[in-house]
Amino acid sequence: MSGNDLREAFFQECEDLLEALQEGLQQIDSPEHDPETVHAVFRAVHSIKGGAGAFGLDALVQFAHRFETVLDRLREGEISADGPTIKLFYRAGDHLSDLVAMARSGDDAAEPDGAELLGALDELAGDAEDEDLSDLSFQPMTLDLDMIGAPDPDAACEKAGQSASGAARWLIDFTPTAALYASGNDPALLFRSLAQLGALTVHADTSGVAPLETAEPGPPGLRWQLELETDAALPDILAVFEFVEGMCGLEITPAADSLYGEDGPKPALPDNAAPGEATAIDAASASDPTAAANDETSPPADAGAGGPDGHDSAPPPATPANVPGSPPMNGPTNGGKATGAPQPTIRVNLDRVDRLINLVGELVIKEAMLAQSIAQLELPNDSSLHAGLDGLKQLAGDIQEGVMAIRAQPVKPMFQRMFRIVREAAAATGKQVRLDVQGEHTEVDKTVIERLVDPLTHMIRNAVDHGLETPEERLGAGKPAEGRVMLSAAHRSGRVMIEISDDGGGVDRERVRAIAERKGLVTPGADLTATEIDNLLFLPGFSSKDQVSNLSGRGVGLDVARSEIEALGGRVLITSRAGAGTTFSISLPLTLAVLEGMVVEVAGQTLVLPISVIQETLQPSSVAIHPLGRDSHVLANRGDLVPLVDLGARLGYRSEPPVLDDRVLLIVQLDNGRRGALVVDRIHDQRQVVIKSLERNYGQVKGVAAATILGDGRIALIIDPDEVIGAGAEPPPGDMPAAATG
Amino acid sequence: MSLKDQLHVLVVDDMAVSRGLIVQALEWMGIRNIEVCNDAREASTRLSARPVHLVISDYNMPGGSGLDLLHTLRANKVTQRIGFILITGKADRAVIERGQKLGMNNYITKPFAPEALKTCIERVVGRL
Repeated sequence: MSGNDLREAFFQECEDLLEALQEGLQQIDSPEHDPETVHAVFRAVHSIKGGAGAFGLDALVQFAHRFETVLDRLREGEISADGPTIKLFYRAGDHLSDLVAMARSGDDAAEPDGAELLGALDELAGDAEDEDLSDLSFQPMTLDLDMIGAPDPDAACEKAGQSASGAARWLIDFTPTAALYASGNDPALLFRSLAQLGALTVHADTSGVAPLETAEPGPPGLRWQLELETDAALPDILAVFEFVEGMCGLEITPAADSLYGEDGPKPALPDNAAPGEATAIDAASASDPTAAANDETSPPADAGAGGPDGHDSAPPPATPANVPGSPPMNGPTNGGKATGAPQPTIRVNLDRVDRLINLVGELVIKEAMLAQSIAQLELPNDSSLHAGLDGLKQLAGDIQEGVMAIRAQPVKPMFQRMFRIVREAAAATGKQVRLDVQGEHTEVDKTVIERLVDPLTHMIRNAVDHGLETPEERLGAGKPAEGRVMLSAAHRSGRVMIEISDDGGGVDRERVRAIAERKGLVTPGADLTATEIDNLLFLPGFSSKDQVSNLSGRGVGLDVARSEIEALGGRVLITSRAGAGTTFSISLPLTLAVLEGMVVEVAGQTLVLPISVIQETLQPSSVAIHPLGRDSHVLANRGDLVPLVDLGARLGYRSEPPVLDDRVLLIVQLDNGRRGALVVDRIHDQRQVVIKSLERNYGQVKGVAAATILGDGRIALIIDPDEVIGAGAEPPPGDMPAAATG
Repeated sequence: MSLKDQLHVLVVDDMAVSRGLIVQALEWMGIRNIEVCNDAREASTRLSARPVHLVISDYNMPGGSGLDLLHTLRANKVTQRIGFILITGKADRAVIERGQKLGMNNYITKPFAPEALKTCIERVVGRL
């Protein structure tokens, strides 16, 4: 890693540390906190300071140092984490995160003012100055150079690893149980891995195998005896069997002539292993792993007898693993398995993942094209081509799912940020607010999360600012002075639901209505249901505070938050109960890359509608259609009158057809909770389509959400039913692009 | 072969960046055999199976401090003679004194320049 890479890695590490800090503080704040939490919080700040020092980020070091000193006193029990202190810690954490962001962007002009905060921390830090250690008589202890290369005489092997005599011989007795085979493991693969460690001899013991004619399905009878000559230590050998632990009888013992000590570790062995004997110290392997692998003169492994079915399950000859001068950083890190270690993760450049997603999209399209070509061949149904295609389809689907899972991230970091938003909003409004989160491990596409931060921030601020009452009002209403905002995430039927609810007074419908009437958003005296009034909050230009507060009323209203969410393919619903609070429910697609769509035909054009909005499909002849006004129609459906819109006419492909016979009606759910009916000519298919942004490749078109490529190579537009039906009063757009032939 | 070619070092630090910085400094010195480890427990398991000459460990780590590691190493016959350098963010008297008692070979405070780490190592193993 170069210096710059390390610097970037430091900032990424900071993100994790700041998250840990935030979480730790919340735990300290809760009644049942673990004393270890204080240590974790301290460590987070300490590590930020350490890294910042290495990169010369002085402002960050200074502040982190002060913060750390206070946390140290907390750790030592010299101060306690009472209310004001924990509030100060939260602020200090926020400030620290600002400083990190500032250091990262290199923009020190925007240095947040921390003087007051530093003062407050100083007060808590007391006079804990850095100790003067000049009187400490520490003398470095020199290592005895003669012992270099031989840390333990018992296990000595001069110039570790450079002599071939360092190789130890191990006898491995391996008896797989049925579970091993059932879980898809293959002994041959295990032996191959072992052969990478050194020279391997395999002997298959088939004496336990019943003759074929009498064989019953039952416990497998194969057993192998292996002899491995290797420089690798026992943990490395055991690591080979890691995934079959508990699914086999395994006994690893050093061969009589091998070199081993007595004080070795007693490694945790799988079931039947003999821990007493299986201890060995292999000083030789303290060396570069390359030496170990290259020393082998590896006699080819004895190709053992195959299984009873004639299947040759013996491994190929041991090939010395050629690790060409691997850099020391890449040395084996799996030597000792630390228990309870976190799952290993890697950081991958997002571009690579996106490229992969794009490729998978192309794969899905190609597969659709192939399916179409095959269909045209009119092969018999039992053709192997069909089976092959089905297999391919399945695989493409699995790959797609797997790739999407890479992009999926827990909403936790985003939720964590909201704590700060609530703190700041509470401070600005003088309210007491507690934020509770639920389902923070719910995973959502990374892009969705990124683009959700702004609308969510806005809605959280809105909940504190407009949703909750002042402490006095709350006490007057018999509620606790501290208001509660609840943020939750959950997966529900292929979508992600995020809810923001408060226990405030609910939407004041009288006032909302009055404001909307005053602003000319609704006709005075119009007959509005409670839901319709609640939905007025989302209208552009609506701001329920008479005075625009400097918090949530920053010129942007809930309408902006809603359109941002809709741009993600999401929907927002508001529910409110007077005196009990308001809930905003956001429903989002799991991913922005594919969509389950219904492929329809209108005026010779192929279009796609998101299946999630389609409630039912109807034959026009089976329903009552009533004229409304001069040239509109409504349709009676389930006790409702639903506006009828001809998709082809609305998109400008044709004029309104006089007769609807042998066309199809699709009842779609709209965002405002209402429904609409779309007239299309035919339904072709229901399939997953890959979303290609139209905005990026062409430009935004009203009524069209995106485009996709169909199996026959043609481009189809993906319709946004809300815009199509919602655009009722507007004239049909003139610049509607006809789907080009791809 | 010179000392720096032969010397085997294990770096123990829970933070990837600190590990990277230490490794970078060691590579700059010309030390070739460097291994890394991210916690004390893993380090002691690894060291008892495959000892090295010198351990450079951070003090403040979750699951066991650098001095806990030193304590474990000194208690095991196989690892008791391994050289040990502690890296600490703050030269705390109690920490240094405990390290001294346990037989710590040297220590260095963060942040440090590669030169300082080199001096620190050389005072333990001799000129590189």
